[in-house]
Formats: sequence, structure tokens, C-alpha cells
Amino acid sequence: MSARLVIRRAGPLTTIQDEGRFGMLRHGVSASGPMDRGAFASAAHTLGRAGPAGIEFTSTGIEVEVVAGQCSTGFAGGAFAARLGGRQVEWPGAVPLHEGEVLAINPGRAGNFGYLRFDKTIDVPPVLGSRATNLRAGIGGLEGRALRAGDSLELIESEDADPDGSRVSTGAGAIRFIWGLHAEVFPPAVRERFLSENFRITARMDRMGVWLDDPGGVFRGASGLSLVSDAVVAGDIQIVGDGTPVVLMRDHQPTGGYPRIGTIIAADLDRFAQMRPGTHVRFESVSLAHARSLTAERSV
Amino acid sequence: MVDTPLVLPLGEDAMLVRFGATLSQDANLAALRFTRRLDARPITGVVEVVPNLVSVLLRYDRHQIGFQRLAGEVGLLLTARMDETDLAGREHRVQVSFGGETGPDLDEVAERLSLSVEAFVAAHNASRLRVLATGFAPGFVYCGFHPEALHVPRRREVRPHIPAGSVLFAAGQTAIAATDIPTGWHVIGRTQLRNFDPLREPPTLIEAGDGIVFEAER
Repeated sequence: MSARLVIRRAGPLTTIQDEGRFGMLRHGVSASGPMDRGAFASAAHTLGRAGPAGIEFTSTGIEVEVVAGQCSTGFAGGAFAARLGGRQVEWPGAVPLHEGEVLAINPGRAGNFGYLRFDKTIDVPPVLGSRATNLRAGIGGLEGRALRAGDSLELIESEDADPDGSRVSTGAGAIRFIWGLHAEVFPPAVRERFLSENFRITARMDRMGVWLDDPGGVFRGASGLSLVSDAVVAGDIQIVGDGTPVVLMRDHQPTGGYPRIGTIIAADLDRFAQMRPGTHVRFESVSLAHARSLTAERSV
Repeated sequence: MVDTPLVLPLGEDAMLVRFGATLSQDANLAALRFTRRLDARPITGVVEVVPNLVSVLLRYDRHQIGFQRLAGEVGLLLTARMDETDLAGREHRVQVSFGGETGPDLDEVAERLSLSVEAFVAAHNASRLRVLATGFAPGFVYCGFHPEALHVPRRREVRPHIPAGSVLFAAGQTAIAATDIPTGWHVIGRTQLRNFDPLREPPTLIEAGDGIVFEAER
């Protein structure tokens, strides 16, 4: 049985995402996928069984109404406040949605990104093998764009429904990274201060990147480095022309010419994506082997 | 093959094999050659191979292969005796409408090189170029190299938005934008060619190693 969902309210950069569009880098298309992969999986886990695509919403939340049919939805990511009808529901959690019911997700005390998964498939056509919206390339999701109030989505019986394990972003403290492609172009003193100074998340963040404040001026004067353009991966910490550190996220450019000092490890990238503007952040270097062991621990 | 390349991790799921720190004919050809080798003799656990200007990115499945073992396999493949298949790819002729509203920087580029516009266009189209890599944006291709005499640096200012099909010129190369992008390159013309169509499989027509000849549209 299918259902129709209407978006009553959506913040900016609300998009349809799935695991990602892998294998297209040769064509200049990065994978996209959820900003917080663990929360995306957790939202499915609350349902037990979910379609491959879900809705990623941003800090102002989202409101959806089932206008026809019925479905179940699971939600997770950050700490938002969910209400079904007039009744508050636990976060993260899952609820059945009947025709005419409205699920309102309001801003909460933590997080930038939350997820809605469904026991059905969002009926948008896969593009290059994925339903993930890539806003930079304008492909996937609903017409390659962000969702907005008034949009209507059909939910159909799920073709594949393998529940992912729950992988909640845990841990606190420093964000761990592996030294990167261009670490050597930064003088040792700059590298040392990168590890000891505080940085701050700014309001300039989207699915492509998160701009950081560098109050200690660690990278002041580090501009003017001209490098041959090379492959980029999600989590890369690049220093742009004016010395601002920018962490590249899921809709990153496939290649870039700014120097990259390191790459945030998979186990910490979800947690980083959820840090709100104003949050202080420190960076800690780890070895590749150590990063591997942390990621393995988290996936069990 | 060539000198020992740099093999380094790019995060936890990717390896970069880099053949030079600066862009050169040799480094670019080495990356292309290694890509062809990987395509001809895939390494188990490698899920994606991406040629860049001077490097090759290998994304791998950490459950199937670890970084050290992959580095070993890469070393073997780099030094293996193999019948090199012809590096040359397909040939493309790209029709360009040079100058005018859709090529606002053409006059300035010609002037900078002390050439008439006609002479610049003729010189630009004289050599057969090679697609050095796809990168930066969907279907965006870098083509090179023009002779030294035609080299100009990028513009000082970035244009925030130029349309798909724009033909760009800087640093000894011509690039073709397949989508709307920002650019600091000189915009010298426009082509009808769109090297990216998400509804096509594969989505691009032109790839690294292909030959490109530019022609002035009549």
C-alpha cells in the first residue's frame, strides 16, 4: 500500500538522501549521501525495516503530513523535538502515520541534521544509481533540488529493505584526523599549532563544506599556496586562499587545488557534521591504523 | 614505468598514487598509464579508480583489503612487465563559437599574447590536445598542453557563474565546462557539446586520455 506525503514546512537544504552515489568520481560527481551517516542508519533501525532513501532535514526541523494512505516513519539525528498531532513523541523514535496526521519536528537542543526514514521507498527516480540529492550537480532526489513546503512525495512499497545497524555518533572531545595529502607544505610550527589551538564552527556551512573560525590565526599567512588540483574526499580539511580552514563534506568537489592538511576520520565525521555554529573544536592526529580500529568498533 | 610515485592514504577508504607534485606531461601520462593498467588488471577490493591530473585515486573496501596490502599490490602493478595498450583514447572534434558575448575574455587573451584574435584562435586550434583529467565539476575536462607561447595565467578575479558549454583557457590548457560553474579561467568561447548528462550511461562522453581538436564554428 502506498502513501502520499506533503511537506508542510522545510528548512533550507532539506534533501532526499540515500547511502550515496558511489563510483561516479571519474565523471566528476561526488557521492553525496547523509551528512550524519550514523544517524541516517539509526533512523532506519528504529523502524526495523526501511526503504533505501530518507529525508535529511536541517536545524529548523520539518513538518510533514500524510494526505493519502499510511506509512511508518523512524527519525534520528541530533536532539530535535517531535510532535504527532498535539502529542510529544520520543526522539529518536518511530511512529505510524495515518491519513491526515501531521508530524512536526521542531528545533531541539543539539544537532544540525536529522533524518526521516520510512517503511516504504520514496518514489523518485534513481539517477546514476542513487536517489541521493547532489545540490552542486543538481541531480537526484526531487528534481535535483532541495525540498520545500508544498512538495508532494509518493511512498511506494520498498524494493529492498535491509536495516542498517544502529551507529550513533558517540564520543566527545577532539575531532580526530589523519594527516593529509599536503600536510608537508605546512611548516612544522603551523602543524603543531593546528593541534593545540581551538577552532570554531561558523554559520557558513552546507552540504559542501563547513567554514571554521581560526581565532588563533594558525593559518594566517598560509595563503598563496598554488597546488595542482587533486582528488578530494569527504572530511578533508582544506585551507582556502585567505587562510580559512574549510572541512569538505558530502557534496564536495571531486577535486580541488587548495592545500589539505588532513582528513577527519569516519568515526568522527558524523559528530563533526552535527556541531552547531559557535561550537569550539580541537583537532587530534591519529594514525590510519588507529582510525581503522575506531571505525570498526563503531560499526558493530 | 616512471620514477617511484608517492603512495599515501586519503582518509581511511582511499589511496592516492601521485606521480608528481606539479603538473607535467610526464606525470599526467604516468597517471593515465597506471589507470589503464588498473583497468586491465583490477585489484580485488578496489571499488573505484579515478585518474586525476597527476595522480590516481583508488577507493577500496576496507573489509576486503587493507592499506598496506593494497600498497604492495600497487607496487607490483607499477613495476610489472605489461604489454602497454595504446594510451590514446577516442578522438573528439569540438566546435566552438569563439569570442562575442559567450567568450568575453577572448580579446584580452589575444592582446596579452600580442596576437590578433584570428591568429590566437588559429594557434589555439592548431594542436591536437589530450584530455588530462575530468575533475572539479561533473564532466569538466582539462585539455592540454598548448605550447609555451600560448600560456597565460588565470584571471585575478573569479566569475561566480558561467554557463555550461563555456570554453575556458589558462595555464597552457583549455577546459570545457559541462555544467554551470564559478571559474577564474578566461572564458574564450562556447560549445554546444555537453559532456555531462545524468540520464545517460555513462554520463560523460569524453574521458582522460581522449584526443581533442578544437574547431571554430562557422
